Amino acid sequence: MSAIATVERVSYAYPSGDGPALRDVDMEVGEGRFVVVAGPSAGGKSTFLRLFNGLVPQFTGGCIAGRVTVAGLDAARTPTRTLALTAGMVFQDPEAQAIADRVEDEVAFALEQRATPRAELRARVDGALRSLAIDHLRERRLSTLSGGERQRVAIAAALALGPRLLLLDEPASQLDAEGAAVVLDAVARLHHERGLATLVVEHRLDRLLPLADDVVRVEGGMAVRLNPRRFAAEYEGAPAVARLARRLALDPLPLTIEEARDWHGPALARARACPMPPPPAAGDELLRAEGLTLAYGETEALRGVELTLREGETLALLGPNGSGKSSLLRAVVGLARPRSGAIRFRARPAPAATAERSAFAGFVPQEPALALYHPTVAAEIGASLRGRSGAREREAALERWGFTALAARDPRELSAGQQQRVAIAAMLAHEPPVWLLDEPTRGADAPARAWLAARLRDHAARGGAAVVATHDAEFAARVATRVLRLKAGRVAFDLPAREAFGGDGPMPSPTARLVDGAILPEEVVA
Amino acid sequence: MSTVAWAAWVALVMATALTTTNPYVLAILLAAVVLVAVAAPRTERAGLGLRVMLALGLGLFVFSIGAAMINTGFGERVLFTLPRASAPDWLGGLALGGDVTAETLVAGAVRGAVVLAVLLGFAVFSGAVSAHAILRLAPAALFHAGLVVTIGLALLPATITDIRRIREMQALRGRPTGLRGLPALVAPAVMGGLDRAMRFAEAMEARGYAAPPAVPARTRLAGVAAAPLLVAAAWVWFYQPEVRWIGVATALAGAGALLFWGWDCARRQRVTRLTVEREPLPLRIAARLSFAGAVALVVADLGGWLPGGYNPFAGFPAPPFSALAVTPAVAALWPLPFLAAAPRPRTRSEPAVSPSPP
Repeated sequence: MSAIATVERVSYAYPSGDGPALRDVDMEVGEGRFVVVAGPSAGGKSTFLRLFNGLVPQFTGGCIAGRVTVAGLDAARTPTRTLALTAGMVFQDPEAQAIADRVEDEVAFALEQRATPRAELRARVDGALRSLAIDHLRERRLSTLSGGERQRVAIAAALALGPRLLLLDEPASQLDAEGAAVVLDAVARLHHERGLATLVVEHRLDRLLPLADDVVRVEGGMAVRLNPRRFAAEYEGAPAVARLARRLALDPLPLTIEEARDWHGPALARARACPMPPPPAAGDELLRAEGLTLAYGETEALRGVELTLREGETLALLGPNGSGKSSLLRAVVGLARPRSGAIRFRARPAPAATAERSAFAGFVPQEPALALYHPTVAAEIGASLRGRSGAREREAALERWGFTALAARDPRELSAGQQQRVAIAAMLAHEPPVWLLDEPTRGADAPARAWLAARLRDHAARGGAAVVATHDAEFAARVATRVLRLKAGRVAFDLPAREAFGGDGPMPSPTARLVDGAILPEEVVA
Repeated sequence: MSTVAWAAWVALVMATALTTTNPYVLAILLAAVVLVAVAAPRTERAGLGLRVMLALGLGLFVFSIGAAMINTGFGERVLFTLPRASAPDWLGGLALGGDVTAETLVAGAVRGAVVLAVLLGFAVFSGAVSAHAILRLAPAALFHAGLVVTIGLALLPATITDIRRIREMQALRGRPTGLRGLPALVAPAVMGGLDRAMRFAEAMEARGYAAPPAVPARTRLAGVAAAPLLVAAAWVWFYQPEVRWIGVATALAGAGALLFWGWDCARRQRVTRLTVEREPLPLRIAARLSFAGAVALVVADLGGWLPGGYNPFAGFPAPPFSALAVTPAVAALWPLPFLAAAPRPRTRSEPAVSPSPP
């Protein structure tokens, strides 16, 4: 196997970094290999990926030692304009990487700037659009596309340059489950059909791991290449099937449900479910939505939605993009005005003002870190305590949320994952009895999800309740006591979580599909 | 309408606004811009941009009148008197307040109307054409500058959305709104905007958009020298009339340097186009006439040949009405028949993304 890229004893530090972001990395990427780059947040995955197209250090600055070679070019010295022809890159945010407003123009833009002859330009654009199965979108405006479609346009734009190495930095992290599936399937198909060497950083490993030739685990700036099964055997955030197999000591380790059934059918049949103890019975009613109908212009986002939430309950609000999840949360907290229906807090009509409503039902919107502006974490949390901002209350809040060690740090200097946690705490520091969280696990790694799950359990144990709008079915299975699924603004079902995610339920979890009576790997014993 | 046609229209609007002081001309021009704005295609985001520009323009209009009211001491028709305050001599002795005259109010309103017309014209233009189309129109020598402007224009709607979201989040945290909440709004919005701009720039860099081929030192030198040469030429022309021939020679040298810079950059950064905007002949003629009209207005203004100028301080006369003076303002209506004849814009008929909270 010849190598398309080699990394030789590379260490790198950002100009403003405390220490090296990468340490003594040695790696080789073979022609046509499909490599998944995984690891915890802020471990150096994105930095590692940016070595291959010269963004590190040419765009980021900083100090680099060692040598990165891509198709014979020195990546640290070859201009990125030249490297872009060899190593194409796609970023997380579909909004922040498009320059044109029509799909075809976006794919053609870089080639136009290189004076590619018109016939070749047409052929390359057509080829890239066909490869991503978005030929039918060529005349569409980017603003009218879904996130998954936009991300495929971004991949097509990178592909049109004819790279030999494709770099994808969490291409599905900003997308809902359906969008993510479409993009990751497209990446897999692209690799299969073109044999293009691909490096993809991703937290959602269940689709990618079975396709990977190698996994590079990046953690604390160190990078290690592993066989995918060996990686799944030891990684905390491995897919549920692999974690189940680890509990049952199945060898070889399956990465898909089909592999698990084919290889270990008898062992799975013998496995027993040991479900978690049921949550205590729900208490008094905290929140009720009655016949909520909400419209944006002519588009109805909610159609007669009914919802009740009691003390001790955690409700997972599921549904595809546009089904009305965010609209429901915004209506509850008063950011959107329903056309009809009513909201009641403890059986009384909810106050009109958003500030008063959020005192009872604290709302954490998507990307809450956007609103951080205080110089320290302590000040940020203290600013949300609503008249109880004395030093003692502030310290108590910091301890409750686990930020005592970070109290003096500037929130904007924290890692993205830590910022997200501080922002969630800041939105809920005033201890409202009801929490409303909109996509809180988007882009979060396993430790961040575990942190949030623990906070939700604590809150429920103290008699609080939460509604978590999410696309993350596994997280929902872990924290929810009930599941409400919305479809086109209507309630499709409202069921206890064990029923919803169970083997006979409408959304069986991977574990439930393999072991009767269990919905999480932790509930299974051999 | 094509990007070139819209560029020609906005050039005419701006030239008309910036070369007149006649209230009739400005009123007709504003009406024309509003009519074209109503008929022009625009996306939801462009509609937001138009509303922001309208609010900004009206704010500046009011500010202009307010500034005229406190900067008194001119005109004879006193309407009312404000308390007077003077700065000390060592601060220039600037006096504010005092008699507010009809002349100063009218002059302030005229200045405000000029700004309003320019902002509205630009908002209609930027809403009707994409930032990408403007970038494609930019000459090769200005590609980098065009890229920066494009990124700015692309990020503006996102920043406005960010501001709205931050306001919501501050309200949810029970934080004060209004002026007291301004730092909590501005700081995260600026930081978020910078962060987004960096991510955008990084994506551009990774795709090789951001680095045009290098140009030799002599070309860069010509580009740098052009602006001071032209400024020097203007200075000589206006302030040293006895040696105007030197001004002409300097202007020719500056123009030559500018042309060489543009030509050499274009020669080195060749581009191709996947699609070319088609312009029907009538539209092409109208656009060329519009652009020519804009140039003629600027030349006529520089030469002092424009009719219909209005100075309220010269005895506060009624504004003169001149058919010739209002012709460019009326001509700014020229896109209307083309917009009326155009098929329904694609942006409104395409399937929209799933409804999401505004």
